[in-house]
Amino acid sequence: MNAATAKQHGLARCQHCGLLSAMPARDQHHLARCPRCHAHLYFRRHHSLQRSLALCLAAAVLLIPANVLTIMTVVNLGQGVPDTIMSGIIRLWQADLRAIAAVVFIASIVVPIIKIVALLLLMMVVQFRLSLSKQQCTALYRFVHLIGRWSMLDLFMISILVTVVSLGNIATVDTGPAATAFAGAVVLTMLAANSFDPRLIWDLEHHDKH
Amino acid sequence: MTQQPHLHACPDCDLLQTLPPLESKKRAHCTRCNAVLAEAPPRLPQLSLAAGLCGLILFIPATCLPLLQFTLAGQTGSNTLAEGVLRLWQQDFKLLALIVLLCSLLAPLLHLLLNTFIALCQHLNYCPPSFSRSIKLGNFMREWSMLEVYAIGILVAYVKMMDDGEIHILSGSYCLAGLMISLILCAQSFNAEQAWQFWQRRQT
Repeated sequence: MNAATAKQHGLARCQHCGLLSAMPARDQHHLARCPRCHAHLYFRRHHSLQRSLALCLAAAVLLIPANVLTIMTVVNLGQGVPDTIMSGIIRLWQADLRAIAAVVFIASIVVPIIKIVALLLLMMVVQFRLSLSKQQCTALYRFVHLIGRWSMLDLFMISILVTVVSLGNIATVDTGPAATAFAGAVVLTMLAANSFDPRLIWDLEHHDKH
Repeated sequence: MTQQPHLHACPDCDLLQTLPPLESKKRAHCTRCNAVLAEAPPRLPQLSLAAGLCGLILFIPATCLPLLQFTLAGQTGSNTLAEGVLRLWQQDFKLLALIVLLCSLLAPLLHLLLNTFIALCQHLNYCPPSFSRSIKLGNFMREWSMLEVYAIGILVAYVKMMDDGEIHILSGSYCLAGLMISLILCAQSFNAEQAWQFWQRRQT
């Protein structure tokens, strides 16, 4: 056995403290505990695909109201201009703030879509045993983890604008219902990425050999 | 249960491999998927503690002092980190307010507090029963701490309002920049495996 996994040797790596220890012989996953930190010990995250898929689909559904409804209304001298995510970006672009428009576009439109598509692709790879490069799939998984947090940019900006621009009758900024939907979508995609177990991708390799 | 100190399992692909002693190299990578398997202990063990304490001190002005100031037609508005959350809560976006509260205030604060606590315990050679829980909670909080995204958010808000009125970056933003540097240093010099080994030694 050249490339053996810990699972094949009956060893499990603790998700919390990283200690490698032998799984108790009987197949009682839910009872095993890490000897060092007493966290639950398991070979693979339980129901990884199901959970990740459910969270991913929920996030995809939430992205619809997040992009259709108003996310922010700038009220200037009593006149309100409601903005969706996209119309806000277009407004920035037209005001010649192109670099910022690009940053917001990437953070609030490209990143959530890439995350959901990438996670769905990874799940398909595992479920249907697609023969894609496992190194690249792992790299994609790490990339999804890395970019996940940046979608919060728009929400932080709203929380800043809402307080900075509160000038009574002259100008205020109001939050729109899309903001909650968008926040939900971001959090759900982060949870989906966390529930996906990248070791499942590599397990395919060992199945193929048998 | 037997433990296997020489063997390492890759966290991302579960490949079993033995590692050479980690003296010269700083990190060991998985031979199959290139994940980081182990890190050599930091050269400056006190750096984590120092960065943590520095961050905790900077946390106070970074959250209390105003970050941005906007002036339009003689009227001025400014914001602090906490006011943004409060304002969202008042506008009845409670769920959103809670998420922003977690990611921009609670998670960075707890991450700093717990990392400083862990570093301090190791420094004083004192191991309270809550030590292992602190490491776990600290890891969780690190994932949800998004202060660096918030900093870019300040920048975007600044550029966005530039044309509409006068906008200034205030002292709070500079403290926030310092806090971010401390947070990054604190996270980078934190060696979880070392902390866990310390915990294990004190258990037996």
